[in-house]
This record gives sequence, structure tokens and C-alpha cells, in this order.
Amino acid sequence: MAAMKTRMSSFSRNTSVAPVPQAPGLKSGPNGTIFLSSGIPDLDKILGGGFPLGSLVMVMEDTEAPHHMLLLRNFMSQGLVHNQHLLYASPSKDPRAFLGTLPSPVLSKDDRSHNRDPEQLQERGLRIAWQYKKYFGEPQPNFDSHRDTKHEYCNDFDLRKPLERHFLTAQNICCLSIQDPPNLAAFRDCCAKFLAQFSRNNSSISCAGRVAIQSFCAPQCEYSNMEWDMLSFIRSLKGMIRDSNAVAVITFPPSLLSPSSSKRWQHIADTLLSVKAIPDEDKELANLLTGYQDMIGLLNVHKVANVNTQVPVILEATTFSIKLQKRRHLVLECLNQAPVDGSSGSSYASTGSCSGSTKTGTLDF
Amino acid sequence: MAESICRNLRDGALEGEHAPALSIKDSIATPFGSDVFNYVLTKLSANILAGKSQSKGIVLVAFSRSPSFYVDFLKTNGIDLVSAKKWISILDCYTDPLGWKDSLKGPLDTKNFSLKDPIEAVLFRHVRNLDLLFSAIIEMGEALAGQGKGRFSVSIDLVTEMLRHASLSSVANLLSKVRSHDRISSTFWLLHSDLHEIRAIAALEYLSSMVGSLEPMNLSLNGQRGDLEKLSLLEQNSRKGKFHVRIKRRNGRVRVMCEDFHIEQSGINFTPVSSEEGIINQGLLPKVQFNLQLSEKERIDRAKVVLPFEHQGNGEPLHIYDGRRSLSEGKDEKASVSTENLQTNEDSGKGEIIYFRDSDDEMPDSDEDPDDDLDI
Repeated sequence: MAAMKTRMSSFSRNTSVAPVPQAPGLKSGPNGTIFLSSGIPDLDKILGGGFPLGSLVMVMEDTEAPHHMLLLRNFMSQGLVHNQHLLYASPSKDPRAFLGTLPSPVLSKDDRSHNRDPEQLQERGLRIAWQYKKYFGEPQPNFDSHRDTKHEYCNDFDLRKPLERHFLTAQNICCLSIQDPPNLAAFRDCCAKFLAQFSRNNSSISCAGRVAIQSFCAPQCEYSNMEWDMLSFIRSLKGMIRDSNAVAVITFPPSLLSPSSSKRWQHIADTLLSVKAIPDEDKELANLLTGYQDMIGLLNVHKVANVNTQVPVILEATTFSIKLQKRRHLVLECLNQAPVDGSSGSSYASTGSCSGSTKTGTLDF
Repeated sequence: MAESICRNLRDGALEGEHAPALSIKDSIATPFGSDVFNYVLTKLSANILAGKSQSKGIVLVAFSRSPSFYVDFLKTNGIDLVSAKKWISILDCYTDPLGWKDSLKGPLDTKNFSLKDPIEAVLFRHVRNLDLLFSAIIEMGEALAGQGKGRFSVSIDLVTEMLRHASLSSVANLLSKVRSHDRISSTFWLLHSDLHEIRAIAALEYLSSMVGSLEPMNLSLNGQRGDLEKLSLLEQNSRKGKFHVRIKRRNGRVRVMCEDFHIEQSGINFTPVSSEEGIINQGLLPKVQFNLQLSEKERIDRAKVVLPFEHQGNGEPLHIYDGRRSLSEGKDEKASVSTENLQTNEDSGKGEIIYFRDSDDEMPDSDEDPDDDLDI
């Protein structure tokens, strides 16, 4: 057959667009985006790299469970470990106290390798009988020699160990309480000032910023019944974020807003996640899902940011279970249906009896 | 179950955490919320008197019933009121909540509590000012619990009344301050769910760690029932109902429980659910995939499987697995088995293929058996 002639065209792929990020904790992704880590390795993988700089992430809370705090904690810790600036706002009187609960990254190699090994085994997938396999030596270890946590893009956090003090006393953290102020003007100014430090220009990125707002429409805040004000705040925050090298994560309980407001907030987000509680000691759920005993909640990915592209990200699975491995590491897993017991599965009994249902006499296949 | 709620309130708050908060909701179909409230109050008082609970006293913020009602109620329920001033005090927001009686100075009978009344009841006249209410609660509580680290409980008779006088955000502010105060052990309140918007109910549920809602026994959704049937249903509902409880646990899961209750002369009685109706959590079931991942045991088993035609890579002679023999057959058999197999293979290949090359400039690659790449 004729060999394919390489066509010389006048178009050439422009590969040198994105500035190579020099700051730690940033990684470049497709379409010229730069990602920063969410602090949870599984979530980074699901979202295709992390949170893109300049995007707004919204997390819908479940009023019955505090799982959004886990996501926020990992997000904030990751930023502090990478020396990124952080703005944290919450409706409690003393937001600084929350910083004491931030987890510390896991440093020991043994823990990491233990976590990675089952993954590596699975990645083998199909075993192909291929004669060249015997020429391969020992498989190369995945991680390079510099295991220095400063350079690692996403750390595994140990939720039982608090973050070291020296991270928390650095100058780059700003904490705000949003409970008392009657309106959002002061908060908006504070955000504007914070984000002005990371405004985008074509030079390389010196530092990235993270904004974490917890329970934005909590009922104890004075402004919580001013729905249009809150919406306009989020809109202006999104505009400010777009123009800067930062990522904002806002968590809110959607049941405390009117349905139209809640929908508007969901649409305004670039990346939309939601966490849900699961009932305790539910025998039906335990029979239906594997690993129910270790699950503490469910995470749904509703929307993934697509920046600089018109191609949407379509995920294979959108619901994940949140588990705490050894009560320390946050792990997100795909939901798996437990093997159905053939004799008692009620939903399968009806589909199985296809021969019995057709009693139409002469035309019996 | 009501028992577990009372146990929760009795155990109180851990250091650094918010105090447990119970919301009791009822509606016109089952207007027995105040009975449940009284039940919880009695249990907590009994626990405090017996010294079993974390809290040392109760501050009762009375909006819908007078302090004298509570005195009588506690007496009839066997709670000893001799030393009541040491462990319970009532903030009376019932008699004169907005200070109107006070401003009408005149021959009105301002009956205050005299000193020989068993419970300390302080008149509170400014229910619109929730900051003042909060400081009054804290003051009374600290007087009960003493100067040290002792904690006290707060119970609010009717949050519905509070919401009449103040906005939702200020009531929510007060409740969250109560919960997060480090001298407060537990708190519980009552509200009527049909008197509020859904947002208000959702906000109050958000602020509480346990929600107990009363529901009628059988929801008569079928509108075509006859009048007699309706009457009998009403009669049933007038004394009985279901008590649904949702408890938010520390590990992030929600415990859902259900009980029957019925009202008797002496109070309210809780019994476990008579008919087992499975609570199907359909909203929580997402689309699950089949189990494509292997557990540890399954992975080990898979690693043990001898694939046909594969060079195992461990230096053993080729062993073609014909599927009939198990791996556990001794290794000394292996040598004989392999020679046997090879012979049978040779014997079975009876035919021969004779191939004439078409031309000499045919690319030599086409001669090569594509199966050469396989490790047979």
C-alpha cells in the first residue's frame, strides 16, 4: 500500500502559548490553563488536573453533614503548604480558630507507597502475553527522587495531624468573619484588595492565591435574606477572580436559599460539586453498595470548568463516595454496586423472566 | 427514639464542639409538640437532679406558657422542686414580652413572683432585642452553673414566637451563639412547622443537630374517603402519631429513626414502630456502576491464574494449561505433564500447509507469523 505522504500545510500547531509556571504548586494543563491542586489527589484526577486558575468553584453543602469542611480544609492546607496566599471567610465569630484544624501533609514514604501499590497493580489491567515483556526490567517507580513536599503538586493530607504552626503564622493568611456586617460591601472590598495582588498580566506567575468562603448564606449572617445582594457579590467575585491568578471556593447550603436563587448560584459556578450525607446503619444501602461501612458521605460532580475551550468535560462517573482511610486520608471512590444475589434480587427478577411473560400462544420463540 | 435524644442532650457538648441542639417540630395535624417538649424537659431535669448529666442547670425561656404552668407541671411529674432555685430558672417572656403592661402604669395587677415561689422567674420585657435576650440567658445560666467551668442547658419554649418578634437572621444568630457558647451544654426548642416559610424551617434545621418531627399516623391523602372514615382518622390522629428523628452524627452520617407515640392522661408515651415500613432512601441512590474493581482477595486469585500460552517469566518450563487440571497439582507432575501435552499437540496437527511465494520482491514481513510476537 502507498505510504502516507506528510502533507505540508500552512498551519502549524502553536505549542508555545502557556507561560511555564514557575511558582510551586501550579501545573499547566491543556488549552493554556494552569491548575492548582484541590488538596485531594482523587479530586484532582477526577477534575482533570485540579482547579484552573481564574475559576470559581462552588460546593453545595448538605445541611446534615459537615463534609464541605473536609474539602475546604484540604484546599486551604494545600495552599499553605505551597506558600500561596489565602483569604478565608466564615460566619463564625473567630475564623482563625478553624485554621487550627487544618491537616498536615503526610511526609513518610511508607504511607504513600502503601497507598499507591494497589493502584499500580490495577493499572496493569489486561495481561497480554507479549514476548518483549521479558526484556523489561523492574518497573520504574512512579515518583522521582525529589519527594520534597514543597515541589509536590498535590499532597496527601493526614486529617488527624494539625498543620504546623509556622505555616499558620505566615503573613499570607487573611481571615474574615462575615457574620456581623450588615451588608457585603466591606467583604467585597476586602476580596478586591486581596485579589489585586495576583492580577494577571503576561509575565510569569509569581504567586497564586486561594479564596475560601465557608457557608456563604448561613442564616446567622445579617445579609442572608438579601438574595440579590449575595448574587451580585458572587458575580463581582467571579469577575475579579477571572482577572487574577487565584481560585475561589465557596460553599453554601442550597436548601437555605429560595429555589430560583439556588439555581442561579449553581449556574454561575465554573466547577460545581455537592456533598451529601448518607443515612447511618441503613441495611438497604449496605446491601446495595460495596464499602458502605467506610463511607461517610457522597460527592457529586455536577460541572467541571472548561476554560478556553468549547469542548465540555464529560466524566465517566459523577458520584463518588467519600471515605476516610484509616480515619486520616480523604479518599474518593467510584460507587460500586454490590454483586446482586441472584435469588433475592427483586429488581432483576422481573427482567429475568422474559419467557414466562409471553403467553401468546402460537408465536412462541 | 426519644430515649436516644434525651441521652444525647444529657451527654452534652464536647470541648471545642458546638452543643447538641434539638428542634422539635409539629403541625396542626399533630399538635403535640409541647408534650414532647415537656417530656424532654422532664427527662433532662431528672438527669440533672440525679447528677448524671453534663449540665448543672436549665434556663427555660418561656414564650408560650407561663412560669406557673411549669411549676405545676414539674410538680405533677414528680420532679422535686425543693432545691429548684439551684438548677432551673425561667426567663419569663410570656407575661409581658414587649413591655406594654409596664408602660401602662396604673392599677393593673402586676403580679410578680414572690420570693416563696419555688422557681426563680425573671420577667423579660424586650423580646425584640435579641442581644439583650442572649445576655440575660447567659447571666441566668452562669448564676445556676456557678463560676467555674460548669455548663447549663437552654430550652426555648417556642421559637415560633421569637420569629414573630425578630427576623430570621437575628434568631439564627442567637441560636448559633447559644450553641457555640462554651458554657452551654445542650439546647432544645419547639416550633410549629406550618407557621413558617420553608426557608425558616430549613434554617432552623440547619442550626440544630437533631430534628424531631411529629407526623400524623396515617396521612389521609386519598380525598375520596367517606366522612365516617375521615372522622375515625381524625380521632386516631388526635391521640397518636409518629415521631421521626434525624440525628446528625459526628462522622457525618445521619441516623434516621421512627417511633410511635400516643398521648395519655399522664403525658406522652413512645413505643417502637408497630408496622415495619421500609424507609427507602431513593433520593440518595445515584446511578451506580457494576463492580469493576477487585477486592484484595480477588486480586490475589487473579494473579494466581495461569494464562494459556504465557511465558510465566519465572524460569519454569513451558506449561500449557489446558483448563482441566488445577494448579494445586504437585510440581513434580509438571515435567511429565508438559511432555505429554507437547506430544498431543504434535499429534493433533495432522495437516500441512504448503505455501508458494508469489514473487521474490514480496516484503519479507508478510512471511512472518504474526503470532510470533506472542509468547507461546
